[in-house]
Amino acid sequence: MDKNRINIAILEPSQIIYEGLSNILLKFKKNFYIYRFNDLEELKHSFSKLELNIAIINPSAIQNKLTDFVKLKNTSRGILWIALIYSFFDNELLQKFDDELTINSSRDQILNKIGQSVNTAVNSQIEELSEREIEVLIQMVAGLSNKEVADKLNISIHTVISHRKNITEKTGIKSLSGLTIYAISKKIIPLENTSI
Amino acid sequence: MYQTHKTFITPDMKLSGLINENSSLLLLLEHFEVDFAVKDRTVEQLCTENKIDLAVFLVIGNLYNGFYPDEKEINSLTDITSIIRFLKNSHRFYKNDKYPELRYFIQQLHEKHDSEDILLIEKFFNDYFEEVLEHLDYEDGVVFPYIIRLIEEGKIPQNSDFSANDYRDHHSDIETKLTDLKNLLLKYISLKNDFSVRRKFMFGLFELEFDLNIHSIVEDKILLPLVGKIEVEPANG
Repeated sequence: MDKNRINIAILEPSQIIYEGLSNILLKFKKNFYIYRFNDLEELKHSFSKLELNIAIINPSAIQNKLTDFVKLKNTSRGILWIALIYSFFDNELLQKFDDELTINSSRDQILNKIGQSVNTAVNSQIEELSEREIEVLIQMVAGLSNKEVADKLNISIHTVISHRKNITEKTGIKSLSGLTIYAISKKIIPLENTSI
Repeated sequence: MYQTHKTFITPDMKLSGLINENSSLLLLLEHFEVDFAVKDRTVEQLCTENKIDLAVFLVIGNLYNGFYPDEKEINSLTDITSIIRFLKNSHRFYKNDKYPELRYFIQQLHEKHDSEDILLIEKFFNDYFEEVLEHLDYEDGVVFPYIIRLIEEGKIPQNSDFSANDYRDHHSDIETKLTDLKNLLLKYISLKNDFSVRRKFMFGLFELEFDLNIHSIVEDKILLPLVGKIEVEPANG
């Protein structure tokens, strides 16, 4: 699955408002994946399967289920909880959310709110590999196993695995053969040294 | 790619309008062996005429339009043969159409550019496609016959090499390599002065990716769970 995808849950009883909101969101960024939920119960059930980034919720949907909501919110990390407001709600209720959108929010305001959480995720990706990562990459494409790389560079196998993960995240390339091409095109290794 | 803003397809809609909105639906028609001249037909009429299960057509068609079916919709599907028909024709498309096309472009690139990068990409592509073909053959030769026997005999066929887990692993491998190939071309491999062939190659890759994506959703999220249901209660299947 695409690591960069942003999963958004919308819990909104009105079809008109749901479709309007999802249309606005879908026009914004191509890696938004929108899931609609009818009630908190349903959202809770999909929670483990879905790696949610943002949940946009009509507060009326949680009004009588505050304990459940708070529990759900506390068990999850890194999710932005946004209240979608078009009628009056208690401040106490609204405080349970991280942020708010109102029915009068402009397109740009919506995108700003949603975009903030998204942008931090995207900007944190620096593509340049560190020196250590390059060392690991060289050994990997030479065909060494994680254990062999660890022994050779005098680091733990966990460190090797975490370097590999970072290499893939930074380059966008996962397969060993793909990484070999990356290493050659970046002149990290010469063509002659490979089995290609 | 199924998040783009498109119409949710319903039985009474006209095909011509839908195709005008999303030309990828032509692939859908092709995978169901339906001629592109859809005239004035609605989705329902087209399905009746071509003996395609309407519910299956709607679920798969809506995947092309960006709508992911929920569990209820998936579980309500009964016509597995229509699904297999779609999948088999998709295989034919990958093997006999998409693959030769992409291969031709990459050879052209290779001829025009005597660069080691292109050589590497060509090698990567060929290895990748060998894997794809192997997987398609496995599905055509093992998976589909297993399912068809399951449906016809109403019980789990003996002596079959089918394994649902192996099968899913294959898919993720195939998608990984395709993503790698795209990223290599988008981020790292540059070629001077050759827009035309490279564009065709890349459009081809995107088209393949789009279709493969739907293909694996249909197999992993729709076909396999439905087959799983029959395996559990074979007598009623």
